[in-house]
Order: sequence, then structure tokens, then C-alpha cells
Amino acid sequence: MDDIDAMFSDMLQEMDLLTQSLGEEAESAPLPKPASIPAPQEMNFSIGFTDFNASLHEMEDNDLDALMADLVADISATEEKFATDRDTSKGSAPFAPIPIQPQSNFGLPASTDTSKPATSSNSIAAPPPLPASKPSKEEQEEQIKADKIKLALEKLKEAKVKKLVVKVEIMDGSSKTLMVDERQTVREVMDNLFEKTHCDCNVDWCVCETNPDLQTERGFEDHENLVEPLSTWTRDTENKVVFLEKKDKYEVFRNPQLFYLWKKDKKSQMDMKEKDKEQLLEENFCGASIIVPDLEAILYMKEDGKKSWKQRYFLLRASGLYYSPKGKTKASRDLVCLVQFDNVNVYYCKEYRNKYKAPTDHCFILKHPQIQKESQYIKYLCCDDEVTMTLWVTGIRIAKYGKQLYENYKAAVRKAAGTATWANRTIQASSSASTPSPTPKAKAANGHAPQLPKDTKGPGNQTSFPPPPPSMETLPPPPPDPMLPPPPPDPMLPPPPPAPPASTAKVNKFPPPPRFPQSSFPTPPMDDLPPPPPPPEEAELPPDFLPPPPPSFAPYGGDSLPPPPPDPITSLPPPPPGPQNFASAGGAPPPPPPPPPPPAPAPAAHPSGSVRKMPPAPPKRTTPQQTAPPGGELMSELMTAMLKKRSQQ
Amino acid sequence: MAAWDLTVTVEDLGPDAPPFKISVTSDLHIGGVILKLVEQTNQMKDWSDHALWWEQKQQWLLRTGWTLDKCGVHADARLVFTPQHKPLRLGLPNGATLKMRACFSSTVFRTVVGICRVLNIRHPEELSLLRPVEEKKKKKDKDSSEELYDLTDVPLTAGSVQALYNGMPAHFADSPKTEAVYKMLSVSLPSPAPEAIAKLYRPASVVDKTHIHTRWLDSSRSLMQQGILENDRLWLRFKYYTFHDMDPKYDVVRLTQLYEQARWAILLEDIDCTEEEMMLFGALQYHIGKLSLSQDMVSSCQGMDDLESALKSLEVKMVGDGNSTDILDNMTAPELNDYLKIFRPKRLTLKGYKQYWCNFQDTSISYYKSKEDRYGEPMQQLNLKGCEVAPDVSVAGQKFCIKLLIPAPEGMNEIYVRCENEKQYSQWMAACKLASKGLTLLDSSYQSEVKNIQTFLSMQRCNSAAPAAQTDDSINTHSLVSPRYHKKYKPKQLTPRILEAFQNVAQLSLTSAILRFLQIWQALPDFGISYFMIRFKGSRKDEVMGIANNRLIRIDLGVGDVVKTWRYNNMRQWNVNWDIRQVAIEFDGNINIAFSCVTADCKVVHEYIGGYIFLSTRSRQQSDTLNEELFHKLTGGHEAL
Repeated sequence: MDDIDAMFSDMLQEMDLLTQSLGEEAESAPLPKPASIPAPQEMNFSIGFTDFNASLHEMEDNDLDALMADLVADISATEEKFATDRDTSKGSAPFAPIPIQPQSNFGLPASTDTSKPATSSNSIAAPPPLPASKPSKEEQEEQIKADKIKLALEKLKEAKVKKLVVKVEIMDGSSKTLMVDERQTVREVMDNLFEKTHCDCNVDWCVCETNPDLQTERGFEDHENLVEPLSTWTRDTENKVVFLEKKDKYEVFRNPQLFYLWKKDKKSQMDMKEKDKEQLLEENFCGASIIVPDLEAILYMKEDGKKSWKQRYFLLRASGLYYSPKGKTKASRDLVCLVQFDNVNVYYCKEYRNKYKAPTDHCFILKHPQIQKESQYIKYLCCDDEVTMTLWVTGIRIAKYGKQLYENYKAAVRKAAGTATWANRTIQASSSASTPSPTPKAKAANGHAPQLPKDTKGPGNQTSFPPPPPSMETLPPPPPDPMLPPPPPDPMLPPPPPAPPASTAKVNKFPPPPRFPQSSFPTPPMDDLPPPPPPPEEAELPPDFLPPPPPSFAPYGGDSLPPPPPDPITSLPPPPPGPQNFASAGGAPPPPPPPPPPPAPAPAAHPSGSVRKMPPAPPKRTTPQQTAPPGGELMSELMTAMLKKRSQQ
Repeated sequence: MAAWDLTVTVEDLGPDAPPFKISVTSDLHIGGVILKLVEQTNQMKDWSDHALWWEQKQQWLLRTGWTLDKCGVHADARLVFTPQHKPLRLGLPNGATLKMRACFSSTVFRTVVGICRVLNIRHPEELSLLRPVEEKKKKKDKDSSEELYDLTDVPLTAGSVQALYNGMPAHFADSPKTEAVYKMLSVSLPSPAPEAIAKLYRPASVVDKTHIHTRWLDSSRSLMQQGILENDRLWLRFKYYTFHDMDPKYDVVRLTQLYEQARWAILLEDIDCTEEEMMLFGALQYHIGKLSLSQDMVSSCQGMDDLESALKSLEVKMVGDGNSTDILDNMTAPELNDYLKIFRPKRLTLKGYKQYWCNFQDTSISYYKSKEDRYGEPMQQLNLKGCEVAPDVSVAGQKFCIKLLIPAPEGMNEIYVRCENEKQYSQWMAACKLASKGLTLLDSSYQSEVKNIQTFLSMQRCNSAAPAAQTDDSINTHSLVSPRYHKKYKPKQLTPRILEAFQNVAQLSLTSAILRFLQIWQALPDFGISYFMIRFKGSRKDEVMGIANNRLIRIDLGVGDVVKTWRYNNMRQWNVNWDIRQVAIEFDGNINIAFSCVTADCKVVHEYIGGYIFLSTRSRQQSDTLNEELFHKLTGGHEAL
């Protein structure tokens, strides 16, 4: 058995390495990819910045904190995982070695890249497991083994999760920076942005990409993943991500008659009764198949590779965009398919009269999302007026996304309604909202997923409204009181271990509450180094210190584990107990001490969320010591960035 | 009261038997007449299904409590004593003919309800009966040899709850014969031969399409009243194109028959579609046909089926487990390595295909000058994620080419990869397909993808080798598309196009493939429109009115364009003037239209409009109870009232 464990620990270390390298990569700004092949799957890079350092410095404090928390969480999560794994499987396992690895890793930021290839990507080369699995004879062992395999696979998956630091331009010229996880949908990113920007959360808000080369703009659909399209941008791109209101995003659901009865005269369109609108939606979006508006019109099309624009009679069908060739009838059988929508997106274009000598400026193009420059594979179309253009672009979106679009709209409406209802509490929510931490699992099930992250710690918070108390068991522990008054020893660390998604296996494993207190207490004194640099920072922090957003990674339970310990070796030791605590803290509701959940509402009243933001740090943690990540370059970089920011203020 | 003689023919005694003369008085009720008649026949048999039919007046005397006087029967009446349920030859949507008993005495609406209950089709209000298109005389001899399914022995059950036995309604499980009928109903039939399709009647224009709708029977009168005789042929079809609450779990027969109707509508160009759509329909038909065949064998016994599926899931589980350990064991993803020929058409060179050592890993192809160079830098690495994959295959020509369109910031890179043989091709092709979706060779669908490609290739092989021979696994691609495309493309041109479309649907299960087919069908612009030749009041030219589930469409015959649409929810009321056979409709905003029907009876038009409005009143909650009264109110016209 020991052998197995040893093997496993080997492998897991390997994986830790891998996860950590993630973080490091973020630091080493220039991405080393060969332009042609965006191969490495697990890399963090920034969008909207020329280099990563710049992006770091531009980040707001809270964002920095959050980013930091993210990174730290990553690392600690792996550690913790490993530890928990060991605990559960058997206490006997050899622990010592594991934790060390991460630290060393940090020390050698540069090396990460090279090390990755070996470990990362699909060709996961971690040979060890093989032997490990074979020996087991008893059923129990089987079970353990199975668990481990599961865990290992999970980790592999996690290790491959791509994250981007994205700079989003806001209308007023400012920008926000946030970290986006591969698994996050645009909807989730927008929820994040809502909280950061304090805007009303109406359904028209939209995350757009703009391409200055092609002079295009496209609003991402709420269900899309943001990372995927962004990662196909070229390295030197000037593309931007913009957060703005776009009327036409969901206009079709507010005024379906404009699209489905476009042939009718304007007046009868305006006079449409709500009841009739609903029926239109019902007919077209709720049946067995989506009905696409029966658009047909003469549009201009730029011929492949030519400069001229030719008029053609176009028709929109669910199966694609068609035109009828000269001299033929409009009968379906004679139509020529210009393009089908499976592989292309539709983009609004700006000022094509200048750029391409288009007949009007109301142009749209259809292209594969990866195409970033002028190409013969782009279909250029031009309409007589803006109304027509909106009509066609919306029609194409309906044909492409179908029912999903309607689902998105309904979710957006719920979200908007939710924020309105909770208006009084929004402040609170927004204050805490700052966490850029990806909340992949959140899924905005209830539309509003105000992240009260720190307080609640748990993934549960996403669903729950601002008032923390309601949220799962996790809530209780982080009463605000602890946070403010006694600032957690280590400022940097995102104190509250983000609660693990209830579903994760680990959570169940730990009989949470009892352990936490016990283990946590004892441990601190022992191996914890006195939190190194924290003190000074702490003082500063309180005011504007946003709660270090506990990155709630779905997979990891309480992963807000200690950031890389300053002292590699020393910090490591605590393995067994430490990890447990955390895990338990995260998964398990209540650290015993924290009394009744503090009435969240009170804080809400305060306009400035800053105070509240303090993460409810569980009073005593084993981890604190590790907070100061002197060793890791990444960490120090982050720190300096943060300090700089603060000192400026 | 004076007694007089009533003449009644008892049909069961044969056509030559003399009619009975029964002495009756005018205040005798119908039940009494029947009693007397039965006594007089001296026949001991079950007469319970029999009733009196008044031939001259074309009406049933079903109210046994009414007196002869009240019914208006006098001495000159010739009555016939005949069973209410008689066999009917029913043409089903799938083209098969089923002989079964149907009620000749109740309204057609009810008769259809009864038929659908036997056939296990839910929501019978969506179907109706129509007179078939006359077949040409030549076919008469052929007609007799036509395979006939027989359900006449199956009693019409009154209960609506269907007990399942062996996965089918209990009444089908009686004998192998009825089981075969159920299979015919619930499994889609193999594709017809292209010649057969070509021979069938196809509407060539909108005007032609109006003809079929003149044939619908009147739902508010009985079969007998409409001149339908025992053993006559009628078609059972989905009449209204709103399919309520479709649930694959309960709607096996309904779904299959609807699919068949849709498929024939497409094959016979009853509904227009584009070439791209036709290819997709073809691919889906091929896929459904193949799955139906394999399902045949398994589902022959439902018990076995359950066992089978249990075994399968167990197998999957074990395989799944095995996989995860395997992965860990090897810690290397599988890859493909081979010498392949690569050609980049975009480069302006005359160079043709050149051989490289190719390695497929993850979602990328890397190629090297030779096998020996494989540890060095590849000549190029192509990441296929998000790319378009198209086959360019000719089995006869031994050409196995994969066309790749790989997106890049500057546009798409076109690259052709040529394989040596079928096996190599199917492996690489499957890998490319998966990679384009971002999946690796590890994905569980890889093996099935490879197999799918192989079967499709073998189909092509059979086609080119022996075009005439039709075996089970070789389907002529011509039988998947409408005759228009028979002329336009040769099979070897058609097959690659269907193959291309097939790639996108090959992973669907039987049910989802059928649902997809129906979805695409329902998304066609012309879907669900029934055409009628009409003439607007005051106008002298014929026009076509299209009736859909939510609107009326006026089509100008000269141009063939839609001139105007009116939606039902703007409709205030509609009336039929039965004397001058004119339909008048009033819409919001004081819009009035009035038209008479040129070819069809205006009752059919009236019923269509009323029927759609009736169907729109259905809601999820009351889906179980059919509001027959409302239906007749909306569709009946003055006769029903």
C-alpha cells in the first residue's frame, strides 16, 4: 500500500507542478507559443495588454487580490487535494515530499515552460500510476484506488483549464480587468462585470469583441465561453473586449413583430399588443423547432476577392443564407447557398463605405471566428439601411443559436429582475463582487449570482442572494465581525477557503465541523512561520482591501489554501493536519467559533463596500504563515504591484 | 294506428337474400324494429354491432328510442340492417396498407379516434382520412400482390389505457401476425427504390398541391354517409401540422408515421427544399434506415431488449473503468502514424501530392519529411480544432481524400490529405472529424465514427459495383432524394454529398435522428401549409389560399408569390354561407375577406381553419381529454348544429 501511495504522490506532485506552472506562466508575460499553433492548452495570458506586467499594474487592487487568490488557490488546492486524498485513503501514506514541490517550482519561474510540456497536455506522461494500481487486492483498496484515479483524472482536467486575464473596456473609457476561466460563460463574466461596474443589470448589456483590422464588432452570446474565442486572437492583436449596452441584442424578444412580421407596415408593428407578442414568441421559439424569420431582400454582396458589390436576392432559411441566381425563380430548389451557419459567426461592420467601397455603411460579414484579417473566406454583405441590417443579423443569430438565444434572454431577464428586487442590497453584493475569481460552477442558475464570495465561502453563495445567511452551511463561519476587527493575520491570503462545491467528493469525505477547530488550532503554532510581511500590509488593507476573493474553483473544495509558503521547506511540514483543516473548513460549514451568521443586511446599507469586503478570515488558520510568498516570483511580482498601488493611494 | 310493412335488407344474409317485410306502426321505435327483424331472421348471432341504414336518405337510424314517425321513415323507405364496423383498407403514412375495422356509423372524427387507438397513435385529432389519389389502371394487377397487413381480427377496445406487453400494446402481442403489424407501424420502412419514387405522383406546382386537399373526408359525417364502402381504400394522414406534446416514450408509432409522412413529402417534392437541405434529409434517412434495420433484430423481443441494454450499460461501465485505468496506465494518448500524401492547393505550384510522415495527436496533425525525422521539428503542425472536414472519396477510383479547411487568422488554409486505402482513410477521417469538434482520439465516439465511415464506404462500393442489386446494407443514394436530384446527379456524385452531410448526424440515436429530421422539416419555410384553390369575392381569377397553423396566406398564381398573410390571432370571426358556399372572415381593424372555394368543398376549408383554432386551444394540462364537442363546434358548420 505504501508503495502505491508513494507512486501516487509522485504522480500528484507532477500534477502540482503542472498546476503551478499555470500560475507562473501568467507571470512570464510573453507567451511563447508559435503563432501558428496555439498548442499549450493550459496557459494564462492576458488579453488587451501588450504584456502581462502591464496588465498586472493596471489591475485594481481588488483584482490583484483576486488574481492572487486565484493563483494561490490553484496551488493550495492541489496541495490540499493531495493531502486530503492521502488522509482519506490512509493515514499511513508518506506525506512529506509532496508539498515541497510547489515551492521549488516557484523558485524557478523560467523553467516552468519547459517543464510543462512534459507533464501537461493530453499526453499526460505520468507513468507511475500504472504500477500503483495493480497491487491492490482487497476491496477497500480497490475503492481507494478508484478514488485516487478519479482524483488524478480530475486534477488532470483541472490542470488543463485555461485562464485569461482580460481587460474589458467600459463605455466611459475606463476599463476593468478580470480573470476569466475557460469554463465561464459570457453570462457569468457579465455578472462579474455588473458587480464591478455598478451598472444597472438590464438585459441589453453585452460583452463585445471589436476587430480594428476588419472594423467589426460582435456581441458574444450569453451562453458562449469567453476564453475560446479570445484565445484564437493573434498575439499582436488590437482586438478589444468591450462591455456596453446593445439595444439589438434581445430586441427580437421584446418586439418579435419587428422581425417576424417585418413585412407589415410600421404602424401595425407599433400597435402590437403584448399578448400578441407573446404569442409570436410562443409560435416561433417554443415549438419543436425554431422558426427563423422569413427574411428576403435584395442585399449587396462583395464577390470573392473582387472589389465590386453585386445585388442579389437573398433569403434566410434555418439551414443557411441563400440567394437566387440570376434568371432563376425564388423556388427553394433553385436557391444557391452562400453559407451555412455551423462554422461562422455574424459581425457588424463599421465604415465599409470607406474601407471597401460598400454602397452603404450598413454592412455585416460572416466569417469563421478564427479569421482575423481580410480574407476570401469572409462573406461581405451590405444592406440598404440599418433596420435591414439589424433584421438580417438578428435573423442569422436566430438561425444559428435557435432556442438557446431565448434561454439566454430569459436568464438575462431573471438576472435583471433579481437585481432590481435586491436593489437595496446590491451595494453589498457589488462590494464583494470584485472578485474576479471564476465561478465556473455558478452557472447563474438563478440569474443573479451576486458573489458574496468571501463571506459565504461556498459555491452556494452564488445562488444565494446577498444576505449571506441563507447560503448553505458554509456561510455561518465567516461572520463579518471576524473580518473587520481582527484582520486576518495574512492580508494577502484569501482567507476564506472557498467552499467546495457541494458535489465534490471531498466535501463529503470530511466530517467537517469538529475537525476544523481542533486541527487548525494546534497546527498554527507548530509549523506556521509567523506570517512574514503581512503585518504592514494588513494595516493598509482594511480600508480598501477587497476581500480576497476566494476563487471558487468548482473542482476544488476549499482550495484557498495557503499561498506558497515563504519558506519552502518549513511551510510544507504541516501537511497532514493543515490540509485537512482547510478542506474541512471549506466544505464543512462552520468553524465552530463563529457565532451566528452576522446579519449581512446591515453592512449592505453602507454604500462603500470596502469595509465589508474583508474576507471573513477564519480566525486562525494553519495556512497563514504561508501567505507571504517571497519565494515565488509571481507572488512577489504581484505583491509589489499591489503595494505600489496601495502606496499610490 | 295502422300497421304497414317496412322493407329491410339484412346484409349479412348476402346480396341475393330477399328483404324482410316487417309489419310496423309509425309509433314503433327503432329498437323495436330491430328486435322484430332479428326475431324474423331466426339467426342466432351477435347482432349488437348492427344498425339500420337508410339508403335513400344516406343516413343511419341510430337513436333506438326514436319512433319511425319521428325519424320520418315511411313505407317507401328501404332500410338496410348492417354492421357499424366494417373492414377498411387503410393507406398509412409509410405507404403500407393495413386492413382493419373502422366505424362506419359515427363521425369521421370519432372513427379516426378509434383507428388511432388501435394503432396506438396519440392525439388523433391531428389526423384524418382522405380519399386516395386514383392509381392508374396498369397497376391493378400489381395492386393485388401488394402486401397487406391485417388487423381485422383485433377488436376495437373502448378503454383508452393501453397495457403494454412485450413493449407493445397488448392487442398487438396476440400473434406473430399482429406483432409484424406493430413492427411495420413503429419501425420506419426501408427506402423505396428510386424507380418506385419516380413513378409516384408528384405535384408539379402549387395548383397541383391544391388537389390533394380536395380529398379530405368531412369530419362531422360518417364514412357511410360519404359513400365509403366496405373494403374501400382510404389514406390516414396527419392533417393538421401542429404536433402536440410529442414524447418519444409514448409516441413510437406516431413519431414513426409522422417521420414517414414527412419523408414522403420531401421525396415527392410535396414540400420544397434547397439542395443542402435535401442532402441532409438524405443523410438522415440513410442513418435512420440503417438504425431501424439493426433495431429490428434486437427489438423482436422486448424482454431480450431490456437484457441487452442492461448488458450494454454494464459493458460500457466496465469499458469506461478500463479506460480510465488504461489512460493512467499508458499516460499517452493514442495517436495515428502513417505515410500520407499531402497537397496544399493554395500554393501556386504545380506540385501535386507529396508524401510525408504524418502523426495525429490530440487534435493536430504534424507532418515530417520522413519517419526518421519524426523526433525533430515537424514541417508543419496543423491544429484541426474548429476546422471544416470534407470527404473527397471515390471507392471505384480508389481515391480516399480528406479535404481540410483550417481556419487561421488570415483566412482558411486548404489542405488535402490523401490516404491509401479505406481502412487508413476511415481512421484518419474519423480522427479529423473528432478533432474539428475539439475531441481527441481518446473520445469514446472514435471507434463508432470509424465504423460509420466504413459502412458508408461499403455502401458506395456496392453502388458502383452493382447498381441494380439492392441488399440490406447497400442503399442506393438515389432513393434518399427526390427525383429531381436523380436527374441532376449520378449516384457517384450524390454519394459524397450525402456522406458529407452524414458526418454531422452519424452520432445521433434513432429517436434523435427522427426528431432531427422532423425539426428540419418543420423549419422549412413552406412547412405546414395546405393549399386551396379559391376565388375572392368579386374577383374573376383563381388564386391560392394557404392555410397554416397560425395564418392564412394569399398566393398570387401569376407570380407565385405570397401577396398577403392574415394571422388567426387577429381574426374576429369567420362565417360560412352554406348556400352560396362562401367563407367570410373578419379581422381586427375592420378587414373583411370573403372567398369561395373552386375545387375543394368549402367545408374542408372551414374545417381546416376551425381545426387549427381548435388545436391551438389544447394545453398541456388537458392533453388527455379531447374536447370533441368544441371540435365540432369549430368545424361542423350548420349541419352539425
